[in-house]
Amino acid sequence: MINQQPFSGTQPEPAAGGKLAGLCEKLDEAITLLAAARDFAKPGRLPRVLDSARRVLLQEGGAAEIERRARALEEAGLFVGSDWDTPQYLVPSLTTNALKSADPDTVVIEALSELRLLAVAMGEYLHPLISAEQARHYLTQVMAINLWLLFGAPSEAERETQGRLAQIPRQLFHHLAERIGYEHIIDSLIEEIWRILQQRPIQVEPVKQMITQIAICQANPEIDLGTSGQGADRLVSSLFGPTQACREDPGIEIYGERLTSMDATALQSEATGFARAMHDTGLVSPYHPVLLRHLLDHGDHLLAEALGLSSTGRDCLLCYRELVSALISNAVHPSTPQAVYGLALMLERGILYQPPVAPAMWRQLRLPLCDETRRRLTLTFGDAVPPEAHLLEGVLCMLGQPLGVGQGNNPTCQSARALSMWAYNDPDYLLQMVAWAARDDEIIMHFEGQPISSRESSGGVAQYLPLDLDPVSLIVVPHLDRIYAEMGRRCSGREGDPHRWVNPEFHGWWAGRGFRINVDVASGQLQDLETFLRHFYASYHPYYNGNQPLIHPQPAGVAVTDSAARFIGWHAITILRVSLDPSEVMRVYFYNPNNDSGQDWGDGTKVSTASNGERYGEASLPFEQFASRLYIFHYDPLEHGELAQITREELDRVIGHIHRSWGADRLPNAEM
Amino acid sequence: MKKDPDKGYIALLGWSLNAVEAAENFDRRYVVVAPEWAEEYCQKYDIPYVPWNFERLNDRSMEIADTLKEKGVDVAIPLFEETVEWAGAINAVLLDKPRLYGQSLLLRDKALMKRRAQLGGIRVGIFEEAHDKEDVVRFLKRVNQALLKLDGDPNDPIHLKAFDKAGCLGHRVIRTPDEVDSIPDEEFPLLMESHLDGWEFAVEAWIHNGKIAFLNISEYVTLGYSVFVPASPELEKFRPQITAQIEKLIKTFDIEFGLIHPEYFVTSDGEMYFGEVAYRPPGFKVFELLERVYGFSAYQASMLVFDPKSTEEEVKAFFPKEVVDAKGYAGCFGVYPRRRVVSHLEIPEEVEDDPYFESHELTPPQQETVTKRTAFGTHWGLVYFRGEDPHRLRDLLKRQEEVDYYV
Repeated sequence: MINQQPFSGTQPEPAAGGKLAGLCEKLDEAITLLAAARDFAKPGRLPRVLDSARRVLLQEGGAAEIERRARALEEAGLFVGSDWDTPQYLVPSLTTNALKSADPDTVVIEALSELRLLAVAMGEYLHPLISAEQARHYLTQVMAINLWLLFGAPSEAERETQGRLAQIPRQLFHHLAERIGYEHIIDSLIEEIWRILQQRPIQVEPVKQMITQIAICQANPEIDLGTSGQGADRLVSSLFGPTQACREDPGIEIYGERLTSMDATALQSEATGFARAMHDTGLVSPYHPVLLRHLLDHGDHLLAEALGLSSTGRDCLLCYRELVSALISNAVHPSTPQAVYGLALMLERGILYQPPVAPAMWRQLRLPLCDETRRRLTLTFGDAVPPEAHLLEGVLCMLGQPLGVGQGNNPTCQSARALSMWAYNDPDYLLQMVAWAARDDEIIMHFEGQPISSRESSGGVAQYLPLDLDPVSLIVVPHLDRIYAEMGRRCSGREGDPHRWVNPEFHGWWAGRGFRINVDVASGQLQDLETFLRHFYASYHPYYNGNQPLIHPQPAGVAVTDSAARFIGWHAITILRVSLDPSEVMRVYFYNPNNDSGQDWGDGTKVSTASNGERYGEASLPFEQFASRLYIFHYDPLEHGELAQITREELDRVIGHIHRSWGADRLPNAEM
Repeated sequence: MKKDPDKGYIALLGWSLNAVEAAENFDRRYVVVAPEWAEEYCQKYDIPYVPWNFERLNDRSMEIADTLKEKGVDVAIPLFEETVEWAGAINAVLLDKPRLYGQSLLLRDKALMKRRAQLGGIRVGIFEEAHDKEDVVRFLKRVNQALLKLDGDPNDPIHLKAFDKAGCLGHRVIRTPDEVDSIPDEEFPLLMESHLDGWEFAVEAWIHNGKIAFLNISEYVTLGYSVFVPASPELEKFRPQITAQIEKLIKTFDIEFGLIHPEYFVTSDGEMYFGEVAYRPPGFKVFELLERVYGFSAYQASMLVFDPKSTEEEVKAFFPKEVVDAKGYAGCFGVYPRRRVVSHLEIPEEVEDDPYFESHELTPPQQETVTKRTAFGTHWGLVYFRGEDPHRLRDLLKRQEEVDYYV
């Protein structure tokens, strides 16, 4: 059955290669047993698979053997019931703890998952849930975050907690690096970091971690990066030494002392250096706040210089001098450096000129936080500065970078979209929401005249309180999520898609009450495709709507597909504007609450985030391609409703895209 | 697997995932009879299930028998020591054989069992029931007097066992009167036996129509620590005598069908002493070991021989030929931490690198201090080995007693 080559006590112990072969045989047996087991019996078969895999991984060449079996392992049910079962949602930063764990099973299953994704990335394994590109992205990030595993020997602490186990992550990473190519890692990592930074996310902690890892490798004489890593200088310096006076990363205190002995010229040079680094990358060095606080006593000119303001921002700063000072004193600290960037961009947006915004900021400055808010902020961001400062930093960043809001690893795209939309379009309303949530731990919204309290509504979309969010989202999203879910519940029993009623009530009056959907909710089949598209063109396309630019951001729904154009799920986005890009192509510019908008949706549809006229945080697609993924949009029912006379060819192209992607198995019988 | 309505409908008494899985993959209809805590699990995985709490037999005992009868169940199989008398009571009703209940009680009480064996002409050691500590001291002295020990000679030990517990649970070895004080009062009454110097082994015998359908000999390397199957050639040499002993046992206990799991000693002169017999699957995962070497599911084997609708031919076709059809030898070792304070689990490298080592079921320690071991049993998990050479396997299992898995 299994044992073709009998073991014998008298035979010499098999050589290293033979040993690996013997272990692989045991692993294959264990996989077969797991695969054959009924669902309820699988947990009982897992330990043997994990243990055999652990022993294989400890051998030279073991990782390659696992990679070869990646598909068999997954199909046997190795990941069933765990987070690893949905690789498309795995978070790279969580791998560090798993790989450092003292529990062999955790280390092994993490390693197996990585090797599985390697097989996917190399195109050896066509995975139903994650594409080769996504897998490669993920692995690059994982390696970036865990560079120490690639280049360093086990530390004393690792040896103490992990023993022989510490070899596994190292063997794993060497294998990953060999397969993907060492030189690609650092360089594609740098590329990856720039690509993310171009979208100017509010949350930059993961990016900072990656840059820190590169810096550590560069500083270590034992690590030979070869010619790679040249492009990292701007990234590393923007965090650790953006100016002359902190070039060698002297530490906050020494830098503070140096400032006291600088003349105006020197301070000017420091201010310019910081501003340039910040606006180049969207990252703020912890030294920057030290300068900014120092400059509070040195006049507006240097302050505007240190924030890198244009004439618009400078005007705003001068008008609201006192408010800006108060914001700097309260929100800008070395442990909340991103507040500087948020503040600068907020001033540039000129939103302080809207009458309610400045007074609302004053309220925010003095807002007493309830215990729950304090607890969650401290739990997530630490207690180096008071929780009020973290929240204030979050408010500045959200108002400065409305399109930098991300939903984290949570199914709360609706709430993230709402926050972003308010920050973009209705900032004082956002500030009102923050005040209610942070001070009262309750938000009340109205749905068709009926009040809905976040406190009385049980259960939102998210099952757990999210922690991987920016400060504002951290406090406000749980409330919004519950209210959103409650609005949905109040629509139950109504015919059709509940977004029709929920979206305008939830997001704001400007969300059109007119609603179109091209999917029959009951059957999931496509319906009225042509009329849907003609109507969308008539409402949004400048050539068909009388050259009217979009006035308010509009919620919309897209069918997200992976790079193989397979349907992944319905997703909430905001349409921001429709206009010609630099190469005269009509594009839809939109906001995607997903943390990384640069996605390949397959069938030639690649969402662009830069170099096609996008502003920071915007994603864009040519109009036709966007229309082919759209399934819900809103419009003003009072605008004239004449359908656009699009050419047959253009319509066919769009419908072709739909049929080749998410619509492939949604064709009503008549159309087949 | 597709169920054959012409074959028996079987109730499994007690919760065992391995048994359920075997039943699921077998052509007999089945239902699990288990306490309420199993309900959610069974619902989730669509496992046929009847809730029942196996406490003491009482007035409601007929209820479960009636429930199963109404469902059309043909026979009940006990999976644990505690469900043996339930199976007897239920099968008495289902098969309309009132005698089965009495038989099950006999198989549940170690003292009664020994007397019955003695009546049937089976050799047993000296045994007595103890109601308090004084009984134990007296028995220890009497046994050693009978062995003509002088004062100051080291005593031969005696064994104490609970009447109605499975395997090694509550099993103690006593050598001096001082040790008697360490026995908690709640363990009385109990059974005392003289120590037999010899080779201890166990048998798993599947019986159909009063005849042995398959007989396995499990060789203990060290009682309470390690076992392997099939037995070494030295022990298998006794197979004819052992078979004769089992046939005697079947006759004495009037067993028509089912799985019995007796234990014996064979002394250096080839004499067999009966230890005890259980009417349920053995502990120490011997079923898994059998499946490893013979390839058949021992749970399915039990379902087959319990099922009154099974034919002679089907039974014959199911079982392989003992020893010759075995692929190698499989054994397991029950790990008990050797140190008083442990912090983590570490499979010794010599084990991990051994080609015979297959897998283990050990988990990291839950507490740091190891409670002092007072009786046999309660190991922390099993380690499995398999290989072609029974002597190398036996030495390897013995060697495990000297290595640390928890450090």
